[in-house]
Amino acid sequence: MQHISRITFHASRITLYVLLLAPIAVFLLHAFSVRWFYPQVVPTEWTVEPFLRQLGTPRTRMALVSSLQIGLLTSGLALLVGYPAARTLGLREFPGKGLAFLLVFLPTVMPPVAIGIGLNILFLRLGLTGTVLGVTLVHLVPVLPYVVFTLASVFARYDPNFEHQARVLGASPAQIFFGVTLPLILPGMLVATLFAFLVSWSQYLLTLLIGGGQVITLPILLFSTVSGGNPTTISVLSLLFVAPPILFILLTARYLTSEAGGYEVTVRG
Amino acid sequence: MTQIELDNLTRHYPRQPVPAIRDITLTVQPGELLALLGPSGSGKSTILKLIAGIERPDRGDIRFDGQSIRGIPANRRGATLMFQKAYLFPFLNVADNIAFGLKVKGARRNTIRAEVARMLNLVELPGIERKYPHQLSGGEQQRVALARALVTRPRVLMLDEPLSSLDTSVRHTLQEAIRRIQRETGVTALLVTHDLSEAVAMSDRTVLLLDGTVAACAAPRTLFQRPPSRAVARFVGVSTFLEGHLERDRLCTHLGPFAVNPATEATRPAIFAIRPEHLRLCAAPDINAVPGVVADLLYKGEFTEYQVAVNGGIVRVRDYQPQRSYAGGDPVHVQFPPEHLFEVE
Repeated sequence: MQHISRITFHASRITLYVLLLAPIAVFLLHAFSVRWFYPQVVPTEWTVEPFLRQLGTPRTRMALVSSLQIGLLTSGLALLVGYPAARTLGLREFPGKGLAFLLVFLPTVMPPVAIGIGLNILFLRLGLTGTVLGVTLVHLVPVLPYVVFTLASVFARYDPNFEHQARVLGASPAQIFFGVTLPLILPGMLVATLFAFLVSWSQYLLTLLIGGGQVITLPILLFSTVSGGNPTTISVLSLLFVAPPILFILLTARYLTSEAGGYEVTVRG
Repeated sequence: MTQIELDNLTRHYPRQPVPAIRDITLTVQPGELLALLGPSGSGKSTILKLIAGIERPDRGDIRFDGQSIRGIPANRRGATLMFQKAYLFPFLNVADNIAFGLKVKGARRNTIRAEVARMLNLVELPGIERKYPHQLSGGEQQRVALARALVTRPRVLMLDEPLSSLDTSVRHTLQEAIRRIQRETGVTALLVTHDLSEAVAMSDRTVLLLDGTVAACAAPRTLFQRPPSRAVARFVGVSTFLEGHLERDRLCTHLGPFAVNPATEATRPAIFAIRPEHLRLCAAPDINAVPGVVADLLYKGEFTEYQVAVNGGIVRVRDYQPQRSYAGGDPVHVQFPPEHLFEVE
């Protein structure tokens, strides 16, 4: 019984790897090959030239920079706005809490086109269309639910007596936040940041609607390149697109598993 | 050393039918260890939270040495609180945990190192500075928590059932340790507990809280031996009450007359009580004794607990020195020694 389940486990694990890695493998083959003709299974000559050329293009560089910029700005803002909301939802019991959760959850089920067009009209009046700030703000709509839910589940298992303890030992509110709360919820904060960054990083439609072609992020550049139809260029840009998230996950992996980075924060009696 | 005065302190939590505490007026003398004893929900922890400043009272005042502390935020009151759990910060080692209160005040590095070593000696755990909380046992964690609470030299130390999650043997050594350290440092201390023996063993005076009010406030011996009211008597383990009419030194009850001390002039209804270990069992009729039948008995090692059925009720008797033991169904006489009968409200 145990033997069979182990085989099943490994089989599904390998299938998962293949499904996830196959597209990236195809991109790698296209991006770094010079000649690749029938009947060869893999290319005969390899080069990094198209990759470096693509990185040297001002358009690509600017797209990379604005994607990073918007991603980081969105994550920061989302944490700032999401933290108090998540803390309240996770720690407090109050009438209408279910409704509050539903309202936070709503943006994830709303079609982005509806949100985008609606906000476009508002942002036009405010002069926010075509600006990095405008795109950042619209990215907050799909990002916030992830941040609030991740942090709310952290606070549901959080014991505020740690903060009370620090307070009676003489710590000011700021000292409590940076010296006690933040270290205790650090793993959860990292996961929330990761989600926020990834959701912002992969936005296309909302960036297009609010950015109006003036804010060029990596997905916008990628879509316009796809219509061009050059497999090498598409592959290089795709790799640039998936690289930062993968690097980010690799660097924070030890905080994402509960054994490694998570502190034992017991439930209140 | 600081004197604490609670003046008509009331706290009513929102959406609760009754207040957690109601008009509590108490004075804790400088250097005293006062125990707040009571069943769960009697409001004892609430009092600590109000003094610590984690919560605000709805009415009333709290004074340290005659000065109101209501306007002072929790982190500047100099009143530290130790919880049932140690709440050591898991990301800091023992030394940094103890140093926490000094660091937030901006103490010098050399001072901190010396103070941490001094406190670890005081709690009898020298040399564990570099260990992390998860490497310590429950008792060690509470000792470190005590060191961390005392390192800032607080005016008031409050202990909220700090030992109730520990093993009996560890609890007893820590009770002694806390008492010794409290005396050595002279800090005014408040101990919350639901354990009568803990309150009796550790405190200078014990306050019994029932339903958010002070039911009794006395030295542990007085509270234990001569509880003032029926409710207090029940809480400290008294289960036998004699209701009747007091005529001089004689209490007339439905079980017959009992001789009691001291004699009064007036004739009035009265209730007398007696601790179960003060009742005596004898085979033959005696003075102040009523006949009964052993309904049940339980051998508990140090004593045997008998339930004796007498006319109209059950009397619980704790027999520490059995001259002879009785079996279920044996006819016995329960003797009420007059010197141990005391009047309750």
